[in-house]
Amino acid sequence: MKKINGLIFIFIIFLNASIVLAEDISGIDISHLWISEAPPTVSVLVAYVTLKNNTTKTASLVSVSSPLFSSIEIHRSIVKDEVASMERHLSLTIPAKSTIKLLPGDYHLMLFNPKTPLEIGDKPTLTFTFSNGVKILVKAQVKKRKYRKH
Amino acid sequence: MLTKLSNSKFLIPAMVALIILAAGTGFYISLKQSQNQLVQNNELRGLFWPNPKQIKNFSAKDHNGNAFELSNISGKWSFIFFGYTNCPDICPITMSVMANVYQHLANYYENIQIIFVTVDPERDTTEKLSSYISFFDQDFVGLSGEPTIENSLTRQIGIPYYYNMKKENNNYLVDHSASIFVIDPKTRLIAKLSPPHQPEKIIEQFKNIKRFIDEKD
Repeated sequence: MKKINGLIFIFIIFLNASIVLAEDISGIDISHLWISEAPPTVSVLVAYVTLKNNTTKTASLVSVSSPLFSSIEIHRSIVKDEVASMERHLSLTIPAKSTIKLLPGDYHLMLFNPKTPLEIGDKPTLTFTFSNGVKILVKAQVKKRKYRKH
Repeated sequence: MLTKLSNSKFLIPAMVALIILAAGTGFYISLKQSQNQLVQNNELRGLFWPNPKQIKNFSAKDHNGNAFELSNISGKWSFIFFGYTNCPDICPITMSVMANVYQHLANYYENIQIIFVTVDPERDTTEKLSSYISFFDQDFVGLSGEPTIENSLTRQIGIPYYYNMKKENNNYLVDHSASIFVIDPKTRLIAKLSPPHQPEKIIEQFKNIKRFIDEKD
């Protein structure tokens, strides 16, 4: 019994160590990834996300991809002199030890030509690629937008 | 009494106190007045008055393919927003805000109408618009092909819009007005609501505009 307890203890230590190791490799946390529910006929969807850079080096998001969409681009909505426009960004810089939030009406991910319409509860996976070659796979949540009827 | 008071050692401090009180009251009243003026100006921000544009007849098609003309906006308060369905951020934000505004105002008024005009008629077909409109609210009206017709609302209101990167691919973007325009039941272009849009702000602005127009007419 004592031996088994010891084994379990060692196993737990090993498990914890491996989790820490996994975090250390990328040093980037990707959270709150959600896609706004949209009419089934639209050709462009939008995703919002929070990117946290825990490292002491600047990180740069260079691409986001998913087999579900023909392409994904980083855009920013701008309202200037009451005219709305969008500018495309080829990369997104996340300074060392800081957090960047992509939110409605600002920076966002444009998801072009969904292969199938997405519904509430769907959890498609998006791949985030950084300039140092690190790839992070994250599941997105399909959710209703604020002010939408429940 | 007066002589008694004038002899009193409290006379000077009492007079000073009285002067301070009077000056303070005057200052408070003038501050209140200027605050009221400010509130009033803020509430009626965006109003095209005293010379609102009278909308002329036009003949468009709605998202069900039915005729939509001047008679369809006559006798109603219409909120008009210009956008396109491939705009995934600003347009659905505004549509969701308007859905919320509509749900609220429809409880109090019978003649409220929300109209979405696409500035991308090439890609936004009637079918596409129909699905887009009903997603936000079944009662909304969508107008496709509107900017190109004679006397279109787009032209009469004077909406700026231009294509961005159109030659490169079919994923082109359209820059467009982010304001919401209000046409009154006498089909006068009465107000422009500027972004950023929030339901509470629009409801409050509308109530003030309606009260102002009801008093004037």
